[in-house]
Amino acid sequence: MVPTPASRKAASSSPLGWLTKSSANWLPPLLGTGGFLLLWQILSMTGLIALPAPASLFTEERTRTLILYPFYDRGGLDKGLFWQTLASLSRVAQGYTLAAIVGIAVGITIGLKPGINRAFDPLFQFLRMVAPLAWVPIALVLFQKNQPAAIFVIFITAIWPILINTAEGVRQIPQDYRNVALVLQMSSRRFFTKVLIPSALPYIFTGLRISIGLAWLAIIAAEIVMPGSVGIGFFVWDAYQQNYVGEIVLGVIWIGAIGLVLDRLMAWLQTRISPGQ
Amino acid sequence: MTTTPAPSLVEVRDIDKSFALKGGGSYLALQGIDLEIHKGEFISLIGHSGCGKSTLLNMIAGLDLPSEGTVLLDGEAIKRPGPDKMVVFQNYSLLPWLSVRENIALAVDEVMGKIGSSERDAIVQEHIDMVGLGPAAAKLPLQLSGGMRQRVAIARALAIRPKLLLLDEPFGALDALTRGNLQEKLMQICNEHELTAVMVTHDVDEAVLLSDRIVMLTNGPGSNIGGILEVDIPRPRTRLEVVHHPSYYSLRSEIIYFLNRQKRVKQWRSRPHAVVARHGLEKVNLDLGFLPLAASAPLAVAKAHGLFAKHGLDAVSLIRETSWRGIVDGLVDGTLDASLMPAGMPTWMTAGGHGGTPLPIVTPLTLSRNGNGITLGRRLAEQGVRTVEDYRAYLKSHEREPHTMGIVHETSMHNLLLRYWLAANGIDPDKDVHLQALPPAQMLADLKDGSIDGYCVGAPWLDRAIRDGHGIAVAGDLAIWPGHPAKVLGLREDWAVAYPNTHIALTKALLEACQYCADPAHWAELSELLSDRRYLGIKPEMIRFSEASADVDRGGKESEAAVPHHLFFGEGLNRPSRTEHLWMMTQMARWAEIPLPRNWVEILERVCQVGVFSTAARELGLEALSYQRQGIELFDGQAFNADDPIGYLNSQTIKRDFSIAEIPLASPRRA
Repeated sequence: MVPTPASRKAASSSPLGWLTKSSANWLPPLLGTGGFLLLWQILSMTGLIALPAPASLFTEERTRTLILYPFYDRGGLDKGLFWQTLASLSRVAQGYTLAAIVGIAVGITIGLKPGINRAFDPLFQFLRMVAPLAWVPIALVLFQKNQPAAIFVIFITAIWPILINTAEGVRQIPQDYRNVALVLQMSSRRFFTKVLIPSALPYIFTGLRISIGLAWLAIIAAEIVMPGSVGIGFFVWDAYQQNYVGEIVLGVIWIGAIGLVLDRLMAWLQTRISPGQ
Repeated sequence: MTTTPAPSLVEVRDIDKSFALKGGGSYLALQGIDLEIHKGEFISLIGHSGCGKSTLLNMIAGLDLPSEGTVLLDGEAIKRPGPDKMVVFQNYSLLPWLSVRENIALAVDEVMGKIGSSERDAIVQEHIDMVGLGPAAAKLPLQLSGGMRQRVAIARALAIRPKLLLLDEPFGALDALTRGNLQEKLMQICNEHELTAVMVTHDVDEAVLLSDRIVMLTNGPGSNIGGILEVDIPRPRTRLEVVHHPSYYSLRSEIIYFLNRQKRVKQWRSRPHAVVARHGLEKVNLDLGFLPLAASAPLAVAKAHGLFAKHGLDAVSLIRETSWRGIVDGLVDGTLDASLMPAGMPTWMTAGGHGGTPLPIVTPLTLSRNGNGITLGRRLAEQGVRTVEDYRAYLKSHEREPHTMGIVHETSMHNLLLRYWLAANGIDPDKDVHLQALPPAQMLADLKDGSIDGYCVGAPWLDRAIRDGHGIAVAGDLAIWPGHPAKVLGLREDWAVAYPNTHIALTKALLEACQYCADPAHWAELSELLSDRRYLGIKPEMIRFSEASADVDRGGKESEAAVPHHLFFGEGLNRPSRTEHLWMMTQMARWAEIPLPRNWVEILERVCQVGVFSTAARELGLEALSYQRQGIELFDGQAFNADDPIGYLNSQTIKRDFSIAEIPLASPRRA
């Protein structure tokens, strides 16, 4: 039947109608995710893979407790997922903040001074290729203690995108703006606040957004080798050691979800701070 | 040079600018630029993209430093940019995160930090109001239109009270209406504040409207100042006044000519120019110049019918110029191998009439005869002016008014015939009227609006006005000098010496084309051919060669005068005639266009390449053409004695103070 204009209008005004109309948006991801879970369920039930089926996360006692009671605290390392995450996030916050401060400062410097850039660029390019896990032993040797070592690993992983993007942002300040500053003989303080930072801000935020993802990746690596500390990374590693496969799966899903939330949060912040650019 | 020590604010002294290239080496953008800018002057820099006009502006701004030479502001070398020479950039260069007010305040706060903040606020507000942006003061640049943004940029520049305002294509990205408004605004502000400004532009009208002087830059590499035009239109100006000022069109056409010339040279440079020798000819790749005229038919025919190729010239390009001046320049700088030209041009250039050193030009062939006529405007016809006697009486009774008649070029037969005709009828062509060189298409418009009395021009422009009812024909070919030479083939003597066989082949191809054009059976086809946009780009029925026109319903004499009687080929028609060239040289000397050469015998010997013509005619089996023409006698019956041109000149009553001089010519050499 060809919908008449009237019926179409009626369909779009009711909630059901809206749902039907926007189905192109929500239907494919739903089908994709659902299909994936279904396949996983079937493969697990037929014994083709050793992983527990998704449904077992709810049927199994240990994982169900973890899902239902994220805030429990039985002392020691036996804490709910919320506390585990919080501990990890606080490490990330420290390492990431440090990376942002140093990264933006160094990025601006090398962006403004091509000479310094040429001197250090090979080093930076080399260092940023080192995987987070490879930094762990070095960090432990450097700091001797778990906590600062973990923060260092996060810092060193997260700094490169911030640094490189900031430098690029500074280099990309349009010649027009530089010319305006030159012609007006702007003081460097005013140039910094009125021209450089606003102009480079979109680039800086791109760096910050990439880095938050990397920092969250690095926390897992850092915590896996930090025995005896609360944190989502160690939680997964501990589960593996004790052969709680269900807990591993749950931990991994949790990690992915947090990472996604952090990324969205940065994206939102970006649109708030530098709108329309 | 000047005796008045006008205060010059900026002095650009002999600067060069080169840029290092990526692959090593360097690009010379500007070379030997010298310019003085006086206080209160508005200067435009105009030229094609990439000619270095923005580079020059940047060096005045101090944003860039010259490789050689110096730029002085108030006697001090400009080493760095500063607010005393504020720039309005093409793309506005507003900071998008600051509002209109903040953008202007940023500049004012930075530059005028010493005065109180309330005074600074007042200055900001004053300039926001000056450009009429009060209601938009709190908006961000992205929320504004292009025109409004540029107004902010101008306000920002003016707010800091610069000694010198530099504008880099300020209105280039704006629509025509906005551009017009902003130009008027800028003009008004400049007048009120007596600003000194330098503006880069590629808009000819904008340059004429705003400037006191227009600096025209040649194309790079190594651009320099190709010419400076003074705009003598009084201020304050309005657009309408400027457009109607008598200087407007000549300034405009001067700039457009300059820009076209630059384009032509650039095109020429971009093509390969190695001399291609083939088929026993020294050069087969030729660029031939022509103007959109019915008399260009032989060139068009030779191209269309493969006559060039038949005689071995495989790669001939026809280059359409808009004015004879373009042909002169093309021959001088060597971008043209040969060209269609007015019959008087070879001797004129050989005698140095084009203002440079004498450049020997030779002609092996007369391409066309007749095709000209004198037209008077309808305004005169309505007052009863129908004959030259009427016109003489009319001039007497309207002595106070300016009387202008249009010609195409001083060397063309139009000029020489019109002057002769006027003088023979007791009208002094310089004192009683004013003859002005105008592009043919513009003459028509000028005749229509009555700013010229009449003109002498070739077909198809001759009969166009009559058909459209804007004028009447008072004298045609038959009434002045039947069979007068009109257009010839001209080329440089050094070229002729370097490529003697090509010279003959070219003459043969065009002589054969002339033969084709002379056949009335082909005229319809010729009209069709010439109507193409590569040639004339007008309707074929507008292009006539000799047939009487049926749709002119005036008297028999008039309709005959309005008809071109083109002759392209025939006994004694094509052979270059020394007598005729001497007559033309004598006429040009009579009107002080050139001195009468004392060595006129030598000049005629060299200009008229009778030998080349005879060889070409013989090889085509057309020996009969070598017949010598008789002496010259025009409508007034006065005989021209080719043995005594000086005596002839002395016997004329109406003439200028002519001079006689030896024209030193180098012996013919290879190019």
